[in-house]
Amino acid sequence: MLNDNNTPLLSFRGLTKSFSGKTVVNGVSFDLYPGQVVGLIGENGAGKSTTKNMLCGLLEPTAGKIFVNGQLVEKNEGHVHGISAVHQELSLFGALTVAENMCIGQLPGSATKINWKKVEEIAQEQLDFLGIEIDTSATVESLGAGKQQIVEIGKALLHADKVLILDEPTTSLTAVEREKLFVLIDKLSTRGIAIIFISHFLEEIYRVCDHYIVLRDGTQVDSGLLANVPQRKLEEMMVGRTIDNANVQHSQPHGGEALRVEQLSSADFKDVSFNVKQGEILGIAGLMGAGRTEVAEAIFGLRPSTGSVYINGVKTENRTVDSMKQLSACYLPEDRRTNGLFLNRPVRENLSAAAIYRFIKQGITKLGFAGESHVSQKIVNDMGIAIPHIEVRVDALSGGNQQKVLLSRWMATEPKLFILDEPTKGVDIGAKFDIHTKIINLAKNGAAIVIVSSDLPELLNVSQRILVMRRGKMVGEFQREAFDSVKIISLAASSNDKGEGR
Amino acid sequence: MLAANSVVLIASIGMTLVFLIGGIDLSISTVISASAVISGLAMAATDSIFIGVLTAIGVGFSFGLINGILIGFFGLTPFITTMATQLIARGIAFVLSQGIAVQGTPYGLMDFGFLSFLGVPAVTWIGLAIVIICIILLTQTQWGRHLMLIGSNRNAARFSGINVRFTEISVYCLSGLLAGIAGFISISNLGNAIPGVGDTLLLLVIGAVVLGGTTMNGGEGSIARTVLGIGLLSVLISGLNLIGIPFYDQLIIQGVLIFIGTWLAMKLSARRH
Repeated sequence: MLNDNNTPLLSFRGLTKSFSGKTVVNGVSFDLYPGQVVGLIGENGAGKSTTKNMLCGLLEPTAGKIFVNGQLVEKNEGHVHGISAVHQELSLFGALTVAENMCIGQLPGSATKINWKKVEEIAQEQLDFLGIEIDTSATVESLGAGKQQIVEIGKALLHADKVLILDEPTTSLTAVEREKLFVLIDKLSTRGIAIIFISHFLEEIYRVCDHYIVLRDGTQVDSGLLANVPQRKLEEMMVGRTIDNANVQHSQPHGGEALRVEQLSSADFKDVSFNVKQGEILGIAGLMGAGRTEVAEAIFGLRPSTGSVYINGVKTENRTVDSMKQLSACYLPEDRRTNGLFLNRPVRENLSAAAIYRFIKQGITKLGFAGESHVSQKIVNDMGIAIPHIEVRVDALSGGNQQKVLLSRWMATEPKLFILDEPTKGVDIGAKFDIHTKIINLAKNGAAIVIVSSDLPELLNVSQRILVMRRGKMVGEFQREAFDSVKIISLAASSNDKGEGR
Repeated sequence: MLAANSVVLIASIGMTLVFLIGGIDLSISTVISASAVISGLAMAATDSIFIGVLTAIGVGFSFGLINGILIGFFGLTPFITTMATQLIARGIAFVLSQGIAVQGTPYGLMDFGFLSFLGVPAVTWIGLAIVIICIILLTQTQWGRHLMLIGSNRNAARFSGINVRFTEISVYCLSGLLAGIAGFISISNLGNAIPGVGDTLLLLVIGAVVLGGTTMNGGEGSIARTVLGIGLLSVLISGLNLIGIPFYDQLIIQGVLIFIGTWLAMKLSARRH
């Protein structure tokens, strides 16, 4: 496999793709040698996915040349040339077994009789090759996200084992699963498989890759050896401007208690108690499935629970989103596409959705909305939401702009308490920085803020106090002076349920 | 022809509103029949047009309320729920009328049916008034905005503090109420209440809404588009009649046209962003 290191496995020259006249990717060129791990990085909408799709043969480039082993290829057919991809959305059948999933593309045996024994053998062989122990007869849905990812990789490498493209492979993985995946990538690379790793987590890029390619607005900004560039430089290349968030200026919590939760319990969590002061930013850390979102939803009456919730010292009864809104509290849901945005409606309507009553025209008929466009336009300007006009449908916006729209919708109700669930998930660095600045300013102006996030650096950066949640229980609390990422992670990920480590 | 169309027009407005909230109301057609029959019986008994109107509206509204509560409150799927009420309404219409047209409606009723203003039948004016009222409700009120947002994303509406339940129940009520009005108009057109008068209208109504470009996914479309859809369909049907194409051949052409219309609407809405 490592016989010829001088000819690149795969070369691309001037790869360009246009959709109906609009150029999405423009002139991407690079060489991929056996055993290389290349990080393909860029913000959302930078052209990473389009590039990926051209590399694995799903899209035909508008212009540009592709060479496989130094030979010009007329039409890139992906796996014929040994190129396989694991896409962000896994393509596994949950109800089928691991072995069936891996072989589904090409089942051994004749057309009328599948050789199931052979299927098992092939799958077992492939898993042995990856060095991962998974029961080949288990159904895929019974596996965790990490193992599913590995099944998917095994399946991909079964058909094409020269170049492997991984598109955001870690988004649904826990810290432990992530590390296992990285070890696997290292192993594959020593066996001469070239890997293209797409991610916007730069920490991960530094962990697994040796080379990088930065895309911005569809053009290749830079590429080279990763060891030669500091992370800040890469971030600036991605965003196209200088970022400075090193010195976050926190205000001291001032004023009274904005929210107190006492002994909140439901099927997903037990005896959760905490409080937030006005002007304070409280982070809640934990792994996925720790029950953090469920707690937030219970506070807003979106799921049943027992226990008490006090807003500004007053106990709440029969909470609904609407009643909490009247108490100046708001909740930004985690999954903005499913629970947050009205995708096929314009930005204006998305911004006013929680406060349309404010715009109803005065007068006898009360028909029509006054000032809605004006206020929406103002919000768009204030928040730096990059859109041509406020009548654009929200599904046409990038992740960062969508998140800003969601945040602005609630800011329009002028709340004093924000519960933000993963406020920067799937958001590019520039927008993330903007959102963090906004959050800090809100706290300075006296709002109480709770941030639920799986992005620990974000919590360490923004919050003044961090609570750790594990398996439905609050298991630890850290003041800003005592922030320690290792301690927080180990507390969140510890499998010991009894340990009330602090 | 315009008079007959106003039954379809009014029913289609109801269907459009239900489509916009992301649902479907299959009971519209037979609720037209049921409210026509019950209203006809009420008028035969009391000889009062006014009571006939109230009865028709009341029957339509009641069916809508049942749909709305089952869908909005108990969370049943719109398709199955309204299919069941469709059967029930059809059954009621035939049982109460014993399968024959209800006679003995007041004398003045036909006069009302033939009434016209500026050369346009009164029932068409009623249809237009309903179109305008519903456009205002949909675009100029909080209720209408909530309806669109729920249709676009039900979860997001809930997470935004919008009263999903109330809006959903009320839109089925309105759809039923409009079917009731359509039922009454059908009596005034024909002079008596026929138990199967609305039964065949369902596909025409859905066809008009879809041809206009309102999607079944919710949150996308408008009443004006449905009016356009009805215009297109009725021009097509009368055109086909004029050149003497047989009824069943027309059905094939209508079906194909709905394919093309839906496809075009999809293309157009995809291009806009």
